[in-house]
Amino acid sequence: MNKPLHDNTATMIEMIKVSKGYPPDVVALKDVSVSIDSGEMFFIIGMSGAGKTTLLKLLCSMELPSTGLIEIGGQAIHTLKGFKLARLRQKIGVAYQDFKLLTDRTAAENIAISMEVSYKKPQIIKNRVRNLLEQLDLADKHDTITGELSRGEQQRITLARAIANSPTMILVDEPTGNLDATTTERVMRLLTNCNKAGATIVIATHDQSIYRHTSHRVMELRKGQLHSVARGTSR
Amino acid sequence: MSFWFTVIRQVGRNLRMTWGSQLMTLLTVSLSVLIFAFFYLIYTNMLNLGHKLGDDLSLIVYLEEEPGPELQQQLINKINTFDEVEEVRFVSRAEAFQRFADQLGKNQDVLNEMPRDFLPPSIEVLPMKNLRSLNQVKLFSAYLARLPGTIKVQYGQDWVERFYYFTKLLSIVVLLSGTLLIMTTIFMVAYTIRLTILGRQAELELLKLVGATNNYIRTPFLLEGLLQGLLGSSLGIAQLYILYQWIKLRFSGPGFLNVFELSFFPPSVSLTIIGVSILLCTMGSYSTMQKFLRI
Repeated sequence: MNKPLHDNTATMIEMIKVSKGYPPDVVALKDVSVSIDSGEMFFIIGMSGAGKTTLLKLLCSMELPSTGLIEIGGQAIHTLKGFKLARLRQKIGVAYQDFKLLTDRTAAENIAISMEVSYKKPQIIKNRVRNLLEQLDLADKHDTITGELSRGEQQRITLARAIANSPTMILVDEPTGNLDATTTERVMRLLTNCNKAGATIVIATHDQSIYRHTSHRVMELRKGQLHSVARGTSR
Repeated sequence: MSFWFTVIRQVGRNLRMTWGSQLMTLLTVSLSVLIFAFFYLIYTNMLNLGHKLGDDLSLIVYLEEEPGPELQQQLINKINTFDEVEEVRFVSRAEAFQRFADQLGKNQDVLNEMPRDFLPPSIEVLPMKNLRSLNQVKLFSAYLARLPGTIKVQYGQDWVERFYYFTKLLSIVVLLSGTLLIMTTIFMVAYTIRLTILGRQAELELLKLVGATNNYIRTPFLLEGLLQGLLGSSLGIAQLYILYQWIKLRFSGPGFLNVFELSFFPPSVSLTIIGVSILLCTMGSYSTMQKFLRI
């Protein structure tokens, strides 16, 4: 696992009155305030268009908020630029809803990218890639061009890339959208293991099966606004 | 994995993926360098020839009558009043006749019927080596023409003027081909890098999102420009050297090239051309990144 973003605080993510709008007058998020602790697994739920993906994009600094403050590990992300922003992004693993895979590269090459930017040793990268592919039941797809994989397989490659660099924070957008029940369980087990190893996990989903019986906090967004934050009942 | 290992791997991957356009750029850069260096080589050789001819330049002042010793000294003083000269030599009518006869060689019998004093006496003036420019030579010639008893001054005016204007023209061609070199290298490399960037937009976006630093993303493109400059200019210089050797071999023996010695650039000039090409290509690459690489 990477060095924690912020050692002296238990809060990993701090969002205070965060809003995001798009021209001409689309309000994707409005006055969302929430704190997520270090090492916490956190679910964001809501219908399509509720603002889940926008919130994740703001957290990984892919986009900047229109108003409000977002701090990751005690650092206001809108103030970060250049090398500092790159270092922060290396510690955040993101599995995008649209995958963002390089479809002309192999599965192994796609996963390796997140480790290459941190200058990991080739042997470490090789071993880590093989290990992740095995855990996600994709060992036989090591040298397959990702453009030739099914949606479900591509989704798992995206997830593998997100966690490959052992980030301290993992953002996952609809991780089980294209998966069957068995693979969903496998993916969730992998994420739970990362969480147990200390990573903060934020999962945006509308798949009830993965948060219905959770003991973790679940935040519901409705039309870009925070509707509720509640802890799950099962432990 | 070290930074440079990763960067070199990226460069290798880029070159593999866009080898067609990279090859075209390489050939264009090498051709531009070849054109520029070719004209520059001719220019430098012409300058050398000019210097050599300048060393042999002498002005001949034809006189109405042979000057006596006192007049000779007076004329020498007058000539030195304009500028110091290397040497002043008086040629008498008889001496001029003898030289002419020697030049005619076997045919000197045509002079048998001629009086021995039909050629005018003259003064041969060898100007100092620093009297180089055409204007200075013209002024000196006009000054000598005004000396009392002078009929005419000759120094191969037409030839010297033509040579001077030819060298001028060459310097303009060198300047133009230099501009061509600058434009083609910068634009071609910029265009190729732009194509690469556009073709890899998705990858660059992803690299940014997974935390690649600006240096990680930019350095491979800069290195590509640098390689284009290095390989393209080296190829251009190598082609010119082969051409030079061929010309030397083909035209050796009696003829034009024996008038002066054709020489290639010293290594320092070749290295400067390569260095400038590298700089221009890297600049082309950098300017494209500034425009199209949003990171």
